[in-house]
Amino acid sequence: MEPLLEIRGLTTVFPTDDGTVCAVNDVTFSITPGKTLGLVGESGCGKSLTALSILRLVPAPGRIAAGSIWYRPKGGNAPIDLVRLCPHGDAIREIRGNEIAMIFQEPMTSLNPVYTIGNQIAESVALHQAADRKEARARAVEMLARVGIPNPRQRAKEYPHQLSGGMRQRAMIAMALCCRPALLLADEPTTALDVTIQAQVLELMKSLQQEFGMAILLITHDMGVIAEMADEVVVMYAGRVVEQGEPEAIFYKPLHPYTQGLLASVPVLGRRSKARLVAIPGTVPRLQRLPQGCAFRPRCSRRMPVCVEMPELEGASGAADASPNADHKVRCWLYDHQHGR
Amino acid sequence: MIISTDARTSPEHAGASDRNLLLAVSGLRKYFPIRRGLLRKVVGETRAVDGVSFEVRRGEMLGLVGESGSGKTTVGRCLMRLLQPTAGRILLYNAMAGVDLCGLSARKLRDIRPRLQMIFQDPHSSLNPRMTVGEIVGEPLIVNRVAKGTELNERVATLLELVGLNGDDLRRYPHAFSGGQRQRIGIARALALRPELVIADEPVSALDVSVQAQILNLLAELRERIGFSCIFIAHDLSVVEHICDRVAVMYLGRIVEIGDTDTLYRAPQHPYTEALLSAVPIPDPVAQRERTRVRLEGEVPDASSPPPGCPFHPRCRYAEPLCRECVPELRPIAEKSLASCHLSEKLNLKGV
Ligand SMILES: Nc1ncnc2c1ncn2[C@@H]1O[C@H](COP(=O)(O)OP(=O)(O)OP(=O)(O)O)[C@@H](O)[C@H]1O
Ligand SMILES: Nc1ncnc2c1ncn2[C@@H]1O[C@H](COP(=O)(O)OP(=O)(O)OP(=O)(O)O)[C@@H](O)[C@H]1O
Ligand code: SF4
Ligand SMILES: [Mg+2]
Ligand SMILES: [Mg+2]
Repeated sequence: MEPLLEIRGLTTVFPTDDGTVCAVNDVTFSITPGKTLGLVGESGCGKSLTALSILRLVPAPGRIAAGSIWYRPKGGNAPIDLVRLCPHGDAIREIRGNEIAMIFQEPMTSLNPVYTIGNQIAESVALHQAADRKEARARAVEMLARVGIPNPRQRAKEYPHQLSGGMRQRAMIAMALCCRPALLLADEPTTALDVTIQAQVLELMKSLQQEFGMAILLITHDMGVIAEMADEVVVMYAGRVVEQGEPEAIFYKPLHPYTQGLLASVPVLGRRSKARLVAIPGTVPRLQRLPQGCAFRPRCSRRMPVCVEMPELEGASGAADASPNADHKVRCWLYDHQHGR
Repeated sequence: MIISTDARTSPEHAGASDRNLLLAVSGLRKYFPIRRGLLRKVVGETRAVDGVSFEVRRGEMLGLVGESGSGKTTVGRCLMRLLQPTAGRILLYNAMAGVDLCGLSARKLRDIRPRLQMIFQDPHSSLNPRMTVGEIVGEPLIVNRVAKGTELNERVATLLELVGLNGDDLRRYPHAFSGGQRQRIGIARALALRPELVIADEPVSALDVSVQAQILNLLAELRERIGFSCIFIAHDLSVVEHICDRVAVMYLGRIVEIGDTDTLYRAPQHPYTEALLSAVPIPDPVAQRERTRVRLEGEVPDASSPPPGCPFHPRCRYAEPLCRECVPELRPIAEKSLASCHLSEKLNLKGV
């Protein structure tokens, strides 16, 4: 199937006192209708900015410096490059909410404290779906029920501060889903939810996916949610894609030392031990002071002299312990013909 | 108000005197009024916390898990007296006797305050952006007149080192730190007064996994070194299993099950606990696909109109007529474990 969204060489930069930093650096991936792409990686590695770049909501003074984002709109029209649209123009506004919806990482920043949640959702339904007030209101209440908000008719009349953390997050999910987007950008959508509600929300997303082929870009640090939802996984570190592949490849044969560390540091249900978790030592480098070559080098236990040069993102076929597989890509010298073991 | 030790009434504590007891909460309730209309008339109440009793022993880590909106944060805020409880008792013990935090005046509360501290969920908004890290961590020491001058600076530097930050970070502002580092600052501040009880409300859920592992290891290590007790509020049951000695499961303002971590995870006694455990996504695509999940059907109940009988019955797949009429008490089921389900003995619920 043809991709719904094709990102090529996306580079989003911020001017800072110490020079320009690349928060998103030469990122390439695509999303197919009805599929879920999971985006994982250390805090600050550029996941949210990748999603914000798609919607052209990169906060100033940040800007997209290079690359293209081809999007195939509803109704079979020719693909458009979102990067070329004016970020304040009608064209992108038409796409936001209607074609591409986003669940933002911080619910409080996207819910308006002075309006009831029912009004806010109805507003967005009325705006994008040309529904009348009463209809919009009914749709809002129905969606609140589907994301598991108790007593939705009543709760619709409440203000954000009257809801618990998880309820706010669900209100925002309802707002994003009520317009039946073709692409959902979900940035940590379930972090504040208990697991049974999380399961309900994930299942709702899956069923909307089946109903009308919604594609999902799912950003989360919960590797369990990735295992459940993703058809493909992209791992980022310091602005770049460092590994990419199907969930089976990523979970059972992680290649990049960062991916391996990430998986080792997750506590797994039912495997309780008194031992400490295996944390990756050190912290993410600041973008202003990225080490030369592989950005993971200072924290990597397997670094080699060649790692001061930047490795390419390549098919993992060179790896001794990986099956030749062009779909599983990694950016690490360990899997290079000459330098790998 | 001083209350003698034998006034311990929570069901968990079967009267035996326990020198290690630090906190005994009994019958805690917090109702929020629901207001409507221009005149803000009270038209009902949200029973956010509806009769919660539990205990925390010295050095113990108690996990508080459960449904979103079930009142976990509200319990924490009541313990800190950031909210005035509607009813109930919160006894904080020292070697001899317990003090009821609910009845304390603001002044008396100030003397107790240092013994309790809270770590907040959101490392981004819980630190004052206009204060330096040194001021943030030092503030409790100054306010409580514990230290000043060079001693203050030394203690702050020690605290920062304790949580793995650099003593030089003192003069920097929070925005210059990553989420994980800010959470460390929050922990350093919480530990400044050597509290006996730390209430951590989702301290790691905003952090990514590798930082989360660092913070969890840090908490475990600090607990061994300094020996505080902790109420650990979290959604991630894998994290709770890893770090907590005992776990309490909340549903609709009440504790429905409480027990030793291992017992509760291996052999849950309440159907809600079973559903919760079965819903935890595990980082293994094949195992995840093969797992069966207990689906909770039915409408999520609201704390403003809790259903009659067992609060969980509208969504419980085992519910019997009795469950619709009779409220089950939280009662001992197995060794060191309590549950509030009429059918606990009869059911053979699945753990992990
Ligand atoms: N206004 C800004 N000026 C300079 N750098 C910025 C600005 N906004 C964001 N950045 C940088 O861009 C990088 C990417 O941020 P982004 O929010 O995409 O991270 P993320 O992967 O979503 O992290 P998290 O998991 O913490 O949400 C960060 O390192 C951040 O420091
Ligand atoms: N200030 C308030 N005014 C009115 N109702 C409130 C207030 N704070 C909390 N509530 C209500 O009390 C109930 C419990 O909320 P609380 O925040 O304690 O839940 P929680 O268990 O921490 O949930 P979450 O896991 O989503 O954070 C909810 O129904 C909530 O709407
Ligand atoms: S390229 Fe080198 S430093 Fe980077 S992850 Fe691979 S081995 Fe480690
Ligand atoms: Mg983000
Ligand atoms: Mg809460």
